[in-house]
Amino acid sequence: MLWVGLAILPNLAASVALSAPAVPRFVDETDAAGIQSRFDGDWEYTVGGGVAAFDCDGSGLPSLFIAGGANRSKFYRNRSARGGALKFVTERAGLELTSTLGAYPIDIDGDGVTDLVVLRVGETLLMRGLGDCRFERANERWAFQGGNQWTTAFAAAWLGDEARPTLAFGTYIDRSRQDFPWGNCTDNQLVRPAPGAGVAFTAPRPLKPGHCALGMLFSDWNRSGAPALRVANDREYYKGGQEQLWHIAPGSEPRLYTEAEGWKPLQIWGMGIATTDLDGSGYPAYYLTSMADNKLQVLAHGSAQPEYRDVAFARGVTAHRPFAGGDVHPSTAWHAQFADANNDGWPDLFVVKGNVGNMPDFAMLDPSNLLLGGPDGKYIESATEAGLVNYQRGRGGLLVDLNGDGLLDALIVNRWDRAKIWRNVGAGSAAAPKGMGHWLQVRLRQEGGNRDAVGAWLEVEAGGRVQRREQVIGGGHASGALGFLHVGLGDATTARVRVLWPGARPGDAALTSPWFEASADRSYVLDRRQGLVP
Amino acid sequence: MIARVFLVLLLAGVGRSYAQGAPPDAGRYSAAVATEWFRLVLPAIQQTPGQSPPVAARTLAVLGLGLYESMVAGMPGRHSFAGQLNELESLPEAQPDEPLHWPTVANATLAALTRMLLPNAPADWMARFDALERNMPVAQPADFNPAERTAEVIIRSETHGRLLAMALMTWARTDGGHDVLGSRRVRLDASYVSPSGLGAWVPTPPRFARPLLPNWGTNRPFMKGLEKCDPPGPPRYDETPASPFHREADEVHRISVHPTEEQRRIALYWADDPGKTPTPAGHWAWILTDLLRDRKADLATAAERYARMGIAMSDAFVATWRVKYAVNLLRPVTFIQLAFDANWVPPLMETPAFPEYPSGHSVQSGAASAVLEAFYGRDTAFEDRTHNDRGWGPKRFKSFRAAAEEAAASRLYAGIHFRSAIEHGTAQGRCIGSRALGLSTR
Repeated sequence: MLWVGLAILPNLAASVALSAPAVPRFVDETDAAGIQSRFDGDWEYTVGGGVAAFDCDGSGLPSLFIAGGANRSKFYRNRSARGGALKFVTERAGLELTSTLGAYPIDIDGDGVTDLVVLRVGETLLMRGLGDCRFERANERWAFQGGNQWTTAFAAAWLGDEARPTLAFGTYIDRSRQDFPWGNCTDNQLVRPAPGAGVAFTAPRPLKPGHCALGMLFSDWNRSGAPALRVANDREYYKGGQEQLWHIAPGSEPRLYTEAEGWKPLQIWGMGIATTDLDGSGYPAYYLTSMADNKLQVLAHGSAQPEYRDVAFARGVTAHRPFAGGDVHPSTAWHAQFADANNDGWPDLFVVKGNVGNMPDFAMLDPSNLLLGGPDGKYIESATEAGLVNYQRGRGGLLVDLNGDGLLDALIVNRWDRAKIWRNVGAGSAAAPKGMGHWLQVRLRQEGGNRDAVGAWLEVEAGGRVQRREQVIGGGHASGALGFLHVGLGDATTARVRVLWPGARPGDAALTSPWFEASADRSYVLDRRQGLVP
Repeated sequence: MIARVFLVLLLAGVGRSYAQGAPPDAGRYSAAVATEWFRLVLPAIQQTPGQSPPVAARTLAVLGLGLYESMVAGMPGRHSFAGQLNELESLPEAQPDEPLHWPTVANATLAALTRMLLPNAPADWMARFDALERNMPVAQPADFNPAERTAEVIIRSETHGRLLAMALMTWARTDGGHDVLGSRRVRLDASYVSPSGLGAWVPTPPRFARPLLPNWGTNRPFMKGLEKCDPPGPPRYDETPASPFHREADEVHRISVHPTEEQRRIALYWADDPGKTPTPAGHWAWILTDLLRDRKADLATAAERYARMGIAMSDAFVATWRVKYAVNLLRPVTFIQLAFDANWVPPLMETPAFPEYPSGHSVQSGAASAVLEAFYGRDTAFEDRTHNDRGWGPKRFKSFRAAAEEAAASRLYAGIHFRSAIEHGTAQGRCIGSRALGLSTR
């Protein structure tokens, strides 16, 4: 009997090996790519340190805005060759700003040119895109009051039939109370579009109580067709705070979800938010970063109530201490993002980490995580094998295709250190990149004010299952991208694609596009009138 | 079939291996880590600037709560206090797959909390904190078996303990009681103006000091609903000689002029002055510590008892201070000098610099005794060794209630409280103690 058992073991091992996700290779190209940014500064720059990626010149490749903290922020125009090495050129774009913490791209005025929301210590800036990567301050033009707060989080959504976005700003600590920051979080702000045909905003309304927000995300948690606002809050400084979920509807006062509605109080050092349809249920799961207390939340009892259970341990994404480097202290996690780094059709999780400053009880050598997902729902830490190694004090970051090859490249902004950028060369090398699984990239387009169809759900059917992407603006930590939605296809060479346009519930035929046939390894525009266009 | 049998055997083997390797729960270890820390912290409180009685009670409460919460995952069948206490909804949980060594967790938690709660401790005490944390495994070999403490387990246990301590302190810092010596707090308290009027408290001789911590009653208490324990209020202020109020003043005066030797001794024994003793809350924590040691309690039991008693005592102070400054009643010395003996001062001690009603000692002792009764029984006799080093002990009591009543009465004997403040205060304290006992852990 024993030999029978032993004979089984190799098969079990083989089975395990087969299920292990393929590890993509990342090559550090910071110097060669021309990225020369540092996020510096003292107390008011302990948080933030974001990056924004967006196509501002019609090249199809995202350029970059990197926050500088006490340094000036920088704009980098993308000059990468498709499929080639990463190459950026610093340009004066009107985005050379002081006291910046992060930024999110968004087409506020619906002119098809991406604008930028810049979060700062001080006045928040709406930077209007002029085309060809030129920007100008538009606070006055759009009647936007940028305040003078410590603004650390942002999310936007087009609510109901409104042609302009509703903007939510998360703020941190009262800047006048640095002597005793505890219990001195400031109110968050909700900025609604003003009535009328033009682009204008009403005065900010407080989202009370504020609990030192470091992450915000409008997301349709129950697929009702209307998003709610999630806020990740930092327990370090709030008094009686917790994670929040807000009802935000046009014409109604914002209202917090209550325990009576199923919302369960949770207190963590909330730093950032990532979302994905984790299990194909059609409902978004949320990953919340914290200090050694990260959560992966899925609905506990269906979509009737926003009650979540934590499956971080079950899925292998607790990421609560360094996986390499020998530092044994707890981790500090900031930016988080679900994306398919190896194009195997299963979402992976990118978690940017770094000590707040010199906190002795937390890891100083705190490498960022690349957790590769697989069909069994478990995640495998793979950053070291992938070469995506960052031991600096990471803050913001992105996984985004910077050279149009369908492989997601990586960028991390570090406090008190240089930002770093890596090219994903798949199964190959820097000299000879090689794809892994197949992929598809889709950019959503529609007429009207919400040109990028924020709030829509992209569905891609391939390999016998459907993957979904929610088009959002917000989340992560002070970092965001706007452009193509990326979907890994694994072995599938074709896929069917459709979109549930903003406001749609699942099954809402009037707001759902037909299925379109798509070939793998291509980028498409899915236009509401024209359909799927290569 | 054969493969299935093999798989069953394989899984059974895994199960056995896990069972053999599973960490013992906290109840298997002695309470030594906890009691050693409290034995060090109590004298440290005595010598740390700013640790006045209300502040010291808060210090002990956060320590006890942190001890419990850091080990709750190692106490099967018990759950966290989070969700039951004001504004504390959740705390970091131990990772299910990472075995922890609970004495190591407790040691790390208490060390981290002690440093954060006593940041003004003199340097020699800071060195003692470091030494206790470092030497604990050597001093308590029975609880720190090297076979259970691999390098990885030690690291995980220490980091979990420190993380929990940090999370708890992020909450504690916002209760209004943090940083009492900080400029913000000093400014706030300095701006307090005592209400004036008939029967209102005024600074008392000989120092005529400003009121102590006038905003302490606005602190966030640990528990909800403390107002339900509020006392009914003192007798109506009345300078008429036969009035109930005047009669209470007469009693204070009479006892103070002709105290018995026993009354003098009791007054001094329970004075528990800051700077000279571990304060009233420390006195009761000392009693609990000795009981845990004498009865060879386990670590889980000690954690829960320190937590409940600490919460009760700290909230007793917050509730007392809230009522004191709301009622704002004058002290006996003020009334007696005004009404019938212009030269009288309390003969044994100075009158504390805050309003009279209710008696803080009485509320405090009532709360502590109610909790201890629940732990050890109503009619349990015990030995109090708190003041052994001063040559005043050990002192035996027939019950915790008897000790609490003596502590309360000591303030009457000392000439600093009226009887109503004592009797109402004791009842208020017992009510608060019962609320602490009502918190759910199972």
